[in-house]
Amino acid sequence: MRRQIALLGAAILICYVALFVKFNQIQVFQADALNERTDNTRQLQRDFNEPRGSIITADGALAAFSEERRATLRYQRVYPEGDLLAAVTGYYSFGLGSSGVERSYNDELAGRTTALKLRELTGFFTDTSSEGDVVLTVRRDLQAVARDALGERQGAVVALDPRDGSVLALWSWPSFDPNQLSSNDTAQATAVKEFLDAVPQKPLLIRAYQENYFPGSTFKVVTAAAGLESRTVTPAAPDYPVVTEYTPPLTRQGISNFGGAPCGGTLFVILARSCNSSFAQMAVEQTGPEPMVAAAERVGFNDAPPIDLPDPARSVYPTDFGDVVERPPGRAPVTSDAPKLAQTAIGQNDVRATPLQMALVAAGVAAGGEVRAPHVMGEIRARDGSVVERYEPEVWRRAFSPADAATLRQAMVGVVADGTARNMAIPGFEVGAKTGTAQLGTTPPRSHGWMIAFGGRPGQEPTVAVAVIVENLSGATAETGGSTAGPVAREVLAAALGAG
Amino acid sequence: MTATAPPSPAAPRPNVQAIGTRRRTTELGLLVLSAITILGAYALASLGRNASLPADILPFLGVILVLLIAAHLAVRRWARCSDALLLPIVALLNGLGFVFIARLDEQLAGLQATWTGVGIAAFIVTLVVVRDVRVLQRYRYTFGLLGVVLLLLPLLPVFGQNINGARIWVAFGPVSFQPGEFAKIALAIFFAGYLVERREILGVATFRVGPFTTPDPRQFAPVLVAWGISLLVVIFQRDLGSALLFFLLFLVTLWVATGRVVYVVIGFLLFGVGAFVSWTQFSHVQDRVSIWLDPWADPSGSGYQVIQAAYALAWGGTSGVGPGLGIVDRIPFDETDFIVAIIGEELGLLGTTAVLVAFLLLAGSGLRIAKGAGATFGTLLAVGLTSLIAFQAFIIMAGVTRLLPLTGVTLPFVSYGGSSLVSNYVLIALLLRISDQSVRRAPDPLAAL
Repeated sequence: MRRQIALLGAAILICYVALFVKFNQIQVFQADALNERTDNTRQLQRDFNEPRGSIITADGALAAFSEERRATLRYQRVYPEGDLLAAVTGYYSFGLGSSGVERSYNDELAGRTTALKLRELTGFFTDTSSEGDVVLTVRRDLQAVARDALGERQGAVVALDPRDGSVLALWSWPSFDPNQLSSNDTAQATAVKEFLDAVPQKPLLIRAYQENYFPGSTFKVVTAAAGLESRTVTPAAPDYPVVTEYTPPLTRQGISNFGGAPCGGTLFVILARSCNSSFAQMAVEQTGPEPMVAAAERVGFNDAPPIDLPDPARSVYPTDFGDVVERPPGRAPVTSDAPKLAQTAIGQNDVRATPLQMALVAAGVAAGGEVRAPHVMGEIRARDGSVVERYEPEVWRRAFSPADAATLRQAMVGVVADGTARNMAIPGFEVGAKTGTAQLGTTPPRSHGWMIAFGGRPGQEPTVAVAVIVENLSGATAETGGSTAGPVAREVLAAALGAG
Repeated sequence: MTATAPPSPAAPRPNVQAIGTRRRTTELGLLVLSAITILGAYALASLGRNASLPADILPFLGVILVLLIAAHLAVRRWARCSDALLLPIVALLNGLGFVFIARLDEQLAGLQATWTGVGIAAFIVTLVVVRDVRVLQRYRYTFGLLGVVLLLLPLLPVFGQNINGARIWVAFGPVSFQPGEFAKIALAIFFAGYLVERREILGVATFRVGPFTTPDPRQFAPVLVAWGISLLVVIFQRDLGSALLFFLLFLVTLWVATGRVVYVVIGFLLFGVGAFVSWTQFSHVQDRVSIWLDPWADPSGSGYQVIQAAYALAWGGTSGVGPGLGIVDRIPFDETDFIVAIIGEELGLLGTTAVLVAFLLLAGSGLRIAKGAGATFGTLLAVGLTSLIAFQAFIIMAGVTRLLPLTGVTLPFVSYGGSSLVSNYVLIALLLRISDQSVRRAPDPLAAL
């Protein structure tokens, strides 16, 4: 009997060791994974019962703060500016999760970063809380200019500082009111979310950086860069024939200029006049598919920009143009998809770009070829106002050589001086721009109107780059982009430059 | 009295006296430690919740001291030589459970305090009434019958109550209780008494199967009866945990009595068959198994409870979020079956490990008592009672952590529940009685240490 009792003891011990192992597994080894499961709202509930930092615009406006309530959840998030800064701040909801800066800087706002925690420790006896305020690079005044300029038209506005990638404005219409989504009344918030999800224009999608569009003629800047980079195109040559359309090899489908107008000339001329025929010919005959892909990817296509906001969309440039079918002497090799290559050269076919990406193209040209990582966070401040963390600018891409960037800059300034973007001129400033009218291939014709631009003091490095899209306009003429997106871009640019 | 004086059979031997004194001193010291720990936890939980010391801390301390000292004095008076560890461990578990129940639901805490009082009264009464465990052996069939009746009581049409899907409650006027909690003690007494009597016959291997000799197949009848009763409990009362516990109790006692592994093997085979058939036939068994395999298949429905328990445990991590600081109100039945998840959240792995160690110490003490009990009835009863506590705690904690499918039983002494608390105090009193008797009767008291 003694033996059995000893064995029974061993059996019980084994059972309890198994339990000990299981507790270890759940409480230690899998703890992080379990805490981070999306259906686990513990972290969230704790956050809603603790103070949370504010979000403040670069010009000092309060974009989001937490208000103490006498309720189950102690804090209610409030967005005093309504929908104005929704694209940047996002929402912060107990039942629906969060978006925007509320999500990407959650640890800072909740005070969970090491730097903020250390500060809390040093103030151990003075009852300091560790939550941090996020100070944005986005300006409230500029955001309002963008909102008013775009009005009720569907579209987006992005304004950046090309020198360090600071996002100055990020506006999308339709927008949404984060106050409703962030209501601690979960049933109400859920109803609002369901309504917004059902709206066909998708207000919760931040078009400025989460949606892709045909870039249309604004992409010609990239095509020009590819030509310059491949050393087959210079400002002087080739001199493209003045024609109404260009027919690429292996097809009879020509690429025509807007309105069937004859168009052609050297690089600066064809960019200023936005000649479809010439850029199609440049990509097919001078540059060739591989350098086109390389140039597009160097400015950031086929990759998501490293912006500090959640879920940025990738811009797309096709990578496969088929096998080489012919090697004409003195020209780029012809591949089986040459007609497609010709269409991509003018931002059609399978090319897609976010407004943010096109703003980065303009910024890259303005900043001597370097595309700096876009960001909305300027600095993180502790509750006492001291700066805990400052954004460190970094280069995302070296898109163009400094010489090519200078050429492109000059070419884009030419578009404003004597081209399709004359309405972009701002007295006292040097402005470069490129219009776009992306045809949607519908009947009757519809299009997205585009404008990308940069501006600054003459002879100095430009200080602002913008991209504007006005979606789904009726008609598709060369002027469509310039006349719709142009005034919006000019107003934002002027306001950002301080030109009144 | 001189050291060389021969022990007289009439008076207690001097070293028995000394053992008793030493053990009671140890017990008192450990009880003070338990009281301090409980008081500290109670104060911390209140600080965590309200940032202030509980207003009733002094009355609370008074009640703890009165209850513990009453239990201690009863042991000192009526079971002087019994084991010193059991009562302090039980006090610690009960106190810890109370702190967490009070933290979850103050109304339940009041009831739990009352039940603790009743439990300690039952503990003292047991010590007073049962002066010799062998008396229980005499009434083994009475206890067997009592056990079966208690077990089947909830099936009675008027008294029986269906609560939370299990028909294990009986209501007499305003008081409702779970007779199964008392049935397990009655059955443990019956099994021990019955097997002491039959162990010779059951232990003899006369039947040859190929190279093996096993007991006569007719001797397996009791195993089949126990198995059948367990199955009935599963089918009619939907109480998987208790069924498993009864069956384990019987198998363990049978195996320890006879030393025949074949009973265990046959028992587990029968258990496997029973489990499989139940799984194919009963939806409530299927539900338990599918929740166990993948609770995330229905995270907001059937899987909710175990998922929330896992989240609570993970939230606690290694050292816990602190007493009173957890996010409770998420786990249904957190004050009964799932209380270990709340302990794990607020005290962390350290807390759950402490609970595990407490139950292991309890089991170890129980088995040591079994080993020391010279009489076989006492040994078997101690084995049965110890197994009840050790396996019941294991079954529920394994269910909460998804080591096994969840079967609703209480965590002894920790969970909220009057029946469970009172019956377990009676159980501990019986263990102390066996322990006390073994020391007094041992030819060489030192051997019993």
